[in-house]
Amino acid sequence: MTEGTGIGASVRRTEDNRFLTGKGRYTDDINRPGQAYACFLRSPHAHAKINGIDTGAAKNAPGVIAVLTGADVAADELGGIPCGFSPTGTQEPQNAPPRPALVQDKACFVGDLVAMVIADDLNQAKDAAELIQVDYQELPANVDPAKATDPSTPRIHEAAENNLCAEWGLGDKEATDQAFAQAHHVTTLDLINNRQIPNAMEPRCSIGEYDASDDSYTLYTTTQNPHITRLLLAAFVMQISEHKLRVVSPDVGGGFGSKIPHYPEEALVTWAAKKVGRPVKWTADRSESFLSDTHGRDHVTRAELALAENGKFLALRVHTTASLGAYLSTFGAMSTTYLYAPVLSGQYIIPTIHCGVTIVFTNTAPIDAERGAGRPEATYLLERLVENTAREMGIDRIEIRRRNLIPADAFPYQTPVVLAYDSGNYAPILDEA
Amino acid sequence: MEKGQALPKGVTAAVLRINGEDHPVVFPTHHTLLEVLREECALTGTKHGCELGECGACAVLVDGEAVLSCLQLAAAVNGRAIDTIEGLQQDNDLHPLQTAFADFGAAQCGYCTPGILMVARALLERNPNPTEDEIYEALSGNLCRCTGYNNIVKAILAAAGQMGG
Repeated sequence: MTEGTGIGASVRRTEDNRFLTGKGRYTDDINRPGQAYACFLRSPHAHAKINGIDTGAAKNAPGVIAVLTGADVAADELGGIPCGFSPTGTQEPQNAPPRPALVQDKACFVGDLVAMVIADDLNQAKDAAELIQVDYQELPANVDPAKATDPSTPRIHEAAENNLCAEWGLGDKEATDQAFAQAHHVTTLDLINNRQIPNAMEPRCSIGEYDASDDSYTLYTTTQNPHITRLLLAAFVMQISEHKLRVVSPDVGGGFGSKIPHYPEEALVTWAAKKVGRPVKWTADRSESFLSDTHGRDHVTRAELALAENGKFLALRVHTTASLGAYLSTFGAMSTTYLYAPVLSGQYIIPTIHCGVTIVFTNTAPIDAERGAGRPEATYLLERLVENTAREMGIDRIEIRRRNLIPADAFPYQTPVVLAYDSGNYAPILDEA
Repeated sequence: MEKGQALPKGVTAAVLRINGEDHPVVFPTHHTLLEVLREECALTGTKHGCELGECGACAVLVDGEAVLSCLQLAAAVNGRAIDTIEGLQQDNDLHPLQTAFADFGAAQCGYCTPGILMVARALLERNPNPTEDEIYEALSGNLCRCTGYNNIVKAILAAAGQMGG
């Protein structure tokens, strides 16, 4: 290994200096003078109408500074939590239901935000939250993406008939169907890529602060992308000039995609800081992380591979039903469309590919990018198909891959799904493995 | 408060001995050691990961043994020797575990690291020459979502070697 700091040298990380000595500065390690503590009341029901919220007892509980609900959010005309991505290539523009920071009329997943209690002390806030009376009228709920568009499945949002967000497709359907019609062998696989919870070791945490002297806000928050949070929170939710909001992302204890989105809790502590005249700090419990951090995946897929007699791939046809949960998160359908289908060619020559995705809503936590965001889902299904093909056709599983790898002299290689690969030499890597 | 006046009900006063130093603190009696460390003592190196004793991020040493501070009442460890991540280094000298963690890339986001370092310290103090299996066993109460554990175990083995185990 090279000495010093030139190419090939082993270099120490600068952040280890503080991480290994207990001097890391994660958001919960930050305390602002005079801060108050927030606790959220979340829906225990996956799907329920809210006929009323009685906060009287909670407001009078010891140490309580404020108890805020969707009515307060609406009265202050806060914008809804936005989705920043709308895919092209859909039959119709996507259905994007509104997402208020605190719900008013109905709860759409277990964990949906119903009320916010702010108190001098966290335990006081938690005790007060237990005194809030919510008149829920439970509705039937659906957590299965495959059932989302059935006529008998309860409709979650006015804006989304049959719980459909969008129908999307990529590739040449006609050429693909033709290739399947002429194939010697077709491998068919029904796959579920189950919903995952990223569960970073550091629970989510946000601190909102307001400076009356210049009408500006500071949000300390554990986020993977403070600039995106700043843009969305200032422009869409608070509706203030961007320079009036500073977003500080200190050390972050893991994210894996779950700390990409702009969350309602971030907006709420920022907004509440001005309302109560004190910094407002919120830290998630681990159970809140499970409930309300964005989840990943949640695909139900039928995948088919068409082959010639000699084991060469002719075509790939995929249909996925992908849930985005109860509401669109910041990057919404990105993981189920343009981060998914374009990698379906893998390292193989597949002359024609078509991928259709039915994007739906279910009564589950919103889904967004998670550790690979669409690309693991595609890779998984492709390699499962190749494995099964090898078994079905009686061809060695390594040999069948070797026969179909894009050869070194074929680069740059244009796949049938938008992406062009600039370079590659796969066979030696297969040999080495 | 006048001399000799009793504390309000539900409040404890104590002098906690942490990393060899006395910390006089007053705290609600029902607060955990994790809360008192992070709040009254402003020692935020020890982390909250789950409040349930499932993840190990809150591990500290009490009289040399690894303890989950999120499940430990602070009032109950009054008079015991408490060691946290902040005391692992001696003045400006890093502990061999800390050097090894840097050398082997054993930390990524760093959030599980203080808990793991404390458990590793307790292990090496009672078993200076652990096998890989014994290290995995000792760490079985610590979750890491970033590293996959391999570099952590390599680092602990290397530190053991350094310490003459």
